Amino acid sequence: MAHALGNRPTRQSAREGFIGWLDYFVWQIERAFTLLSSLFIFGLMMIGVIQVFGRKLFDAPIFGYIDMVELAMTTFAFLAISYTERLGGHVRMELLVGKLKGRVQWAAEFASVIVALFVVAILIYYGWTHTVRAYEFGDSTIDAEYPMWPSKLVVPIAFSLLWIRLLVMAYGYARLFADPARTPIGVPVVENVAEQAKAEAAEALGADAREGGR
Amino acid sequence: MEFSNETLGILGFVSLLVLVVIGVRIYIAAAIVGLVGLIAMIGWDAGAGIVGTIPHSKSASYTLSVLPMFILIGYLAFHAGITDAVFDAARKWFGWLPGGLAVASVFATAGFAAVSGASTATAAVFSRVAIPEMLKSGYHPKLAAGVVAAGGTLATLIPPSAILVIYAIIVEESVGQLLLAGFIPGIVSALVYAGIIITWSIIDPTIGRPIRGYTWGERVKSVPGTFPVIAVIVIIFSAVYYGWATPTEAGALGAFVVFVLALAKGMKWDNLKDALLETAKLTVMIFTLIWGVLIFVRFLGFTGVPAEFTEWITSLDYPPVVIMIFILLGYAVLGMFMDAIGMMLLTLPVVYPAVIALGYDPIWFGIVVVKMAEVCLVTPPIGLNCFVVNAVRPDIPLTQVFRGVGPFVVADFITVGLFLAFPWIITWLPQQVLG
Repeated sequence: MAHALGNRPTRQSAREGFIGWLDYFVWQIERAFTLLSSLFIFGLMMIGVIQVFGRKLFDAPIFGYIDMVELAMTTFAFLAISYTERLGGHVRMELLVGKLKGRVQWAAEFASVIVALFVVAILIYYGWTHTVRAYEFGDSTIDAEYPMWPSKLVVPIAFSLLWIRLLVMAYGYARLFADPARTPIGVPVVENVAEQAKAEAAEALGADAREGGR
Repeated sequence: MEFSNETLGILGFVSLLVLVVIGVRIYIAAAIVGLVGLIAMIGWDAGAGIVGTIPHSKSASYTLSVLPMFILIGYLAFHAGITDAVFDAARKWFGWLPGGLAVASVFATAGFAAVSGASTATAAVFSRVAIPEMLKSGYHPKLAAGVVAAGGTLATLIPPSAILVIYAIIVEESVGQLLLAGFIPGIVSALVYAGIIITWSIIDPTIGRPIRGYTWGERVKSVPGTFPVIAVIVIIFSAVYYGWATPTEAGALGAFVVFVLALAKGMKWDNLKDALLETAKLTVMIFTLIWGVLIFVRFLGFTGVPAEFTEWITSLDYPPVVIMIFILLGYAVLGMFMDAIGMMLLTLPVVYPAVIALGYDPIWFGIVVVKMAEVCLVTPPIGLNCFVVNAVRPDIPLTQVFRGVGPFVVADFITVGLFLAFPWIITWLPQQVLG
């Protein structure tokens, strides 16, 4: 239901034919985007701490702090969207899809991805014109008057990567539809509740277990 | 073919439901229905144009920046050695009660909830910390498993809670007030859990016996280990209560404290990278859901369906409390099939205005809805928390876990009943800040 861990592309899966290579190639870009988004989250923490201490102790708040945060937000609101899609991390109801098997399952997944391709294409186009308008009119933030367009540009860029990912997934599902006996590559694997619980537990405990080498 | 606005709205709602049920990701389902609906109503250019601006305009808002901070606190908390220390302190202070170790587990999960907003993760961690101790002391496995699965749900009420922030954003209420509002109901829930355990253990003393023999010196010495939890509570509570920092700044400070402690406990670069990547993933998931659903909400607003629904609800010839009970039961049923965040985002645009028209307090309703969504984390068929406990402790069969949480589900209904009867349990604290 919530956020299944999904199977990740690996160097090994990259050797499984064209789809494996493609999956891994896009995955590298997705990882880079997500790392960048993580760095911005870390930066948000640091700048928040500096802001509080600056304001409280030295009466010197950071100029345009709120503007800066709002501009930076598109990084962690969007950059990891494709990475999360690949891991099957976006919320959906798996009650029905989880029960489907074989060709019917792959057909349903394929149809879902086609719908997504359509929506995301429109979001890319209008997100892009939104950016161009901001650039042409010289839109800026209220307080510090930082230009808006770089922040808006992140949206169509992240959506473009998502669109490419969806295309790879469409190919992955089509390939499984053609021959359900194949191993799923390049698509997130649906987990039932028990598998998902195991993944969630591993996520929490895996991190916990490494602490102090226990 | 021409449709009236209301018909379009209802068609939209039905299509959304169908898409969600057949497994289309919620953000895509909501966005496509909103997009097609708006295009049908106001034409291609205007419709698609509006939709195209929503992702950016709804995401780049300072209020939402608190989300990654709260999520980061949770992921870093696993590396700060908090769980063992908190359970140790709780055991020494509350072990003497009937069913003492189980009571201690409740308070330990409540304490851990103050640094984590994730129910399943809390249940997973305490399955490993608390269950072995309880079994060693001869506690019945169903009590040991049940208390951990139920205790995990406290994480969403006690700040930092991402889901309360999401509620605040969707209904356009103050994030700070909702966060404050979660404290007392979270503590009340924990107390009711403790009460249930004590009663259960008095009726059937074999289920879990008291653990005695700790000296006051040992008790006092166990307190410093809980420092990170106390620090995060104090920072977030006082920042919101006295207004010396925004929720985002308080979240940043809380995350920083936990980060420094985790470093002191020997967190490696790989751990930090994992925590940051997981934070990025959960953050983007929530943002995506928010703008996706807001595209649908924009369309829904055009159709006038929420207003119609409100009119219908308020014209019903029942006392508001009866209608409220039905709404809450509806959430209990829905929650059995859907993730809490998705459920709230999809229903609130229609349900919320109606509830307000019935005269209920927005903050109060937020806490009660989140509480109902959490109950569903421990009830069949999904009951994810129970599955998590079973995944960590495969030796305790799933049926026993579900049997073990039974009393706690009863406790939850008592708690919700208390909220209905005495709404000030929820509204008193946030009102102190207003006044």
